[in-house]
Amino acid sequence: MSETPRIQGATRRTVIKSIGAGAATMAFGGLARPAFAQSRTITIIFNSNTEGQIEALRAAIADFEQATGAKAELNLMDHEANKTAIRNYLVAGAPDICFWFSGNRMKAFVDRGLFDDISDLVADEGYADALGGTLSAVTVKSKQYGLPLAGTLWGNYYLKDVFDKHNLTPPTNWDELMAYNEAAKSAGITPLAFGSRELWPAAGFFDELNLRINGLDSHMALMDGKMSYLDPALTAVFDHWEELIKAGFFLENHTSYNWQEAAALLGQGKAGMMNLGNFLKDGLPAEAIPNLVFVPFPKIVDIPRYEDFSVDSVHIPANSKNKELAREYLKAFYAPKNLSAFFAPTGQIPPRNDLPPNTDPLVNQAVESLKTVAGTAQYYDRDTDPDMAQAGLNGFQEFMAKPERRQDILARLEKTRTRIFGPLDA
Amino acid sequence: MSLIWRRHRTWVVPTLFIAPSIILFGVVIVASSLQSVWISFHDWDGFGPMQWIGLGNYEELLGDPQFYVSLKNNLIWLIIFMLAPPLGLAIALLVNQQIRGMRIVKSLFFVPLVLASVAVGIVFTWVYTPQFGLLALAFSAFGQKAPALLSDEHLVTFAIVIAAIWPQIAFCMVLYLAGINSLSEDLIGAGRVDGARGWNMLYHVVLPQLTQVTFIAIAITAIGALRSFDMISVMTQGGPFGSSQVLAYQMYEQSIFSYRFGYGAAIATILFIIMLVFILWYLSRIIRAEEWSN
Amino acid sequence: MFPRPIPHTARGMRAIYMAMVIVILLIWLAPLFAIIMTSIRTSDDISMGNLWGWPTGFGLVENYVNVFTKTPMARYFVNSVVITIPSVIGVLILSTLAGYVLSRHKFRFSMLIFAIFIGGNFLPAQIMMIPVRDLMVQVGLYDTAWSLIIFHTAFQTGFATLFMRNFIAALPNELFEAAKAEGATSSQILMNVVVPLVRPALAALAILLFTFIWNDYFWAVVLTISDTVKPVTAGLANLRGEYVAAWNTISAATMIVAIPPVAMFFLMQRHFVAGLTMGAVKG
Repeated sequence: MSETPRIQGATRRTVIKSIGAGAATMAFGGLARPAFAQSRTITIIFNSNTEGQIEALRAAIADFEQATGAKAELNLMDHEANKTAIRNYLVAGAPDICFWFSGNRMKAFVDRGLFDDISDLVADEGYADALGGTLSAVTVKSKQYGLPLAGTLWGNYYLKDVFDKHNLTPPTNWDELMAYNEAAKSAGITPLAFGSRELWPAAGFFDELNLRINGLDSHMALMDGKMSYLDPALTAVFDHWEELIKAGFFLENHTSYNWQEAAALLGQGKAGMMNLGNFLKDGLPAEAIPNLVFVPFPKIVDIPRYEDFSVDSVHIPANSKNKELAREYLKAFYAPKNLSAFFAPTGQIPPRNDLPPNTDPLVNQAVESLKTVAGTAQYYDRDTDPDMAQAGLNGFQEFMAKPERRQDILARLEKTRTRIFGPLDA
Repeated sequence: MSLIWRRHRTWVVPTLFIAPSIILFGVVIVASSLQSVWISFHDWDGFGPMQWIGLGNYEELLGDPQFYVSLKNNLIWLIIFMLAPPLGLAIALLVNQQIRGMRIVKSLFFVPLVLASVAVGIVFTWVYTPQFGLLALAFSAFGQKAPALLSDEHLVTFAIVIAAIWPQIAFCMVLYLAGINSLSEDLIGAGRVDGARGWNMLYHVVLPQLTQVTFIAIAITAIGALRSFDMISVMTQGGPFGSSQVLAYQMYEQSIFSYRFGYGAAIATILFIIMLVFILWYLSRIIRAEEWSN
Repeated sequence: MFPRPIPHTARGMRAIYMAMVIVILLIWLAPLFAIIMTSIRTSDDISMGNLWGWPTGFGLVENYVNVFTKTPMARYFVNSVVITIPSVIGVLILSTLAGYVLSRHKFRFSMLIFAIFIGGNFLPAQIMMIPVRDLMVQVGLYDTAWSLIIFHTAFQTGFATLFMRNFIAALPNELFEAAKAEGATSSQILMNVVVPLVRPALAALAILLFTFIWNDYFWAVVLTISDTVKPVTAGLANLRGEYVAAWNTISAATMIVAIPPVAMFFLMQRHFVAGLTMGAVKG
């Protein structure tokens, strides 16, 4: 019985293949990729459209083309679209270079054998010295499967001039947070700009609360599926969250905004703070950026400070057809000159410690802040299983809109967790 | 040799003519559809080996609250879409006058029909945008604040359906325009002699002649309602928290985002079975008409 | 005629009626006007929140130039053409052949084949999604224009065959009888009788297919990823994610996606309407 579809599948494939091949040689031959191009051209898929970053990638391409005489083709893809598409293209039609997220999200592909082991490149170029601890983000079983890129530190952001105008102070603990909430509301502005249309910002807020209340080990146990979503430890997290929701802390109708639209409200002075990573500044007008200040999420219980610090990464897919050339490109791209140009427009924290000192005050604030952090997670949807993450993101968004459904949502998440990770040992 | 050829060419040539269509359609469309049903009995992440789990996916589906949300939304789509045939008929009747300039007016009424659904989705997202959109403008004219339709779990599906029904009404209008232009003048004349006017005429004389058109309009509209995917993907991605998902979108999300191809295939199979009712209804009438005319 | 025509002599009545129809038309197309008007606004107006007031400047040229120079829209546009045109031609050829055989040859299962062609065309795309995607991956056509060309050709052949079969079946029988009496073979009949006569049907079909394929979004998302392959519909959805607040750019890009089918429609309106009604009603 199980043989039938396979045979059927094989015949179908053969048929299509011959149709495809036949057609390709016909009049529209121009559509087929020229054969010679495969050997001397590498393709790069980049998951952002930040202009300055694209220029830096192009500069690296120029260096690479000069050094090797080969060509490189840059494909741009929307950040969100890439998250979906990468699962397809790593298997079929892999580029030679792709951009992704380190940690668990990377490991999911490493486990499936979809990223190339580039330990050789790391050793040859001596990247370990320049990267220090960040290297662990791309290491699985002491082998490297990518190079770390900028890190994004999560926290609260506000505009100094807006705070000054309304005489607000950044909250550092829970009481101050509640006081800030009242002050902002009486000043007629939204206490926290928030856009949950694309789901994940809600998960970031969950991370903040859980890391502040239960700490890193408990958080990672939850991420690894070793802790129940019905665990009493989470009660305090959702209680605090609910308190904020009921106090009108978040932007009204946040489910219809994405983060850029929410950030625009921050920029217009209609909201006081926003909880996000440092890419937040992409959503602000240029004149507002010098006023932007980072402040860690307020302390809630007396435990060391843990933060979400997500590190992006760049990889060579295992199905790349030009792994040698791809390594040459990585070398050119990872050179301090091109790498610092790449990070300049983002306000993220560079991975190499041998780059020229950063001129962006925001980056320096984050670097300073990181020094006092006791440990880092990556981000909810990077730390847990993608299937679990999809359910979690939906659940957190729903909780933020309908906090009274807490028990239903948590029971649903626990059901999903059990399906993915199996039942917990009693 | 040529004898054999001559004897057989009466069937060989037609077979060669029709073979490419049958093979292509059979391989890409029919076999793929059947293969999905097969996949639905497996646990499969799209990379690794498939694992047979029998009806496991279907059992899980029955306990999945999202499945019922999707099913309910499919029903909302289906019910509201049934407004498209009468509204299409209304516009068709409205523009069925020979006045200078009416032709261009008719064409302009058709326009939504040829717009890409992605474009329609974006147009309506813009209309619904809180604070800035056309809807907000209309509400503010009355001193009201427009509801954020796309983020309200109870309104979001209605908001999307209203956008989606726009081209569907245009489609029904095209069908009805053709229909009312081939009405029997004799019957209408006879009706007028009998004093039938307005509603009476429409109901007793015109509509009975449009039964075939109405059937087609309803069948295609129903199928269109159940196939909805593009608008949801563009306008809300199924949100907020899955409240605007339909089976077609849930299937896509489960397969592409959660990587559960077996589960996705099971959802697709359920959708397929629901649609089969309408497809078979349509087919049976068409084929009956076909055999009758032969 | 129904409704009863307003008499030519009732000038005032006709004018009032026309005015009413135009008002309804304006409401009907209001969403479209909204996007057209937004597409000519300047970025300054957009960021100031001046979306419906009198524009402080006109960004018509700037916005459309931006779409072509700052976004990959031009590339997407070319991709759409590269996908749509061969698909339409392929379907026209296949469906003429199949439609001719199904309408003029009696054989077993012909009704079944016909039913499968019609039925298959109404299937939800999702039921084929996983296997079709998998198939394209296996044969190495995933993320190439060919994957969409092959899929659209296969899928639309169902509808088009129904269409061509009905058209050819409605041609006068005498023509075929006469040709057979002269000893013409099937292929001679096809070339000398069918092809010259089906031209209007092909024109109608071509415009319909062009619209269907150009407007496809689902398969574009499922089968392509690269900017170098992606058609305008998927590209537009992509841009929407990036230019979130830049509604003038998004609007201009939306217009660029919408214009080719609308232009085709106005150029070949008669064929379009005839085709749509024939395809659906006569079936």
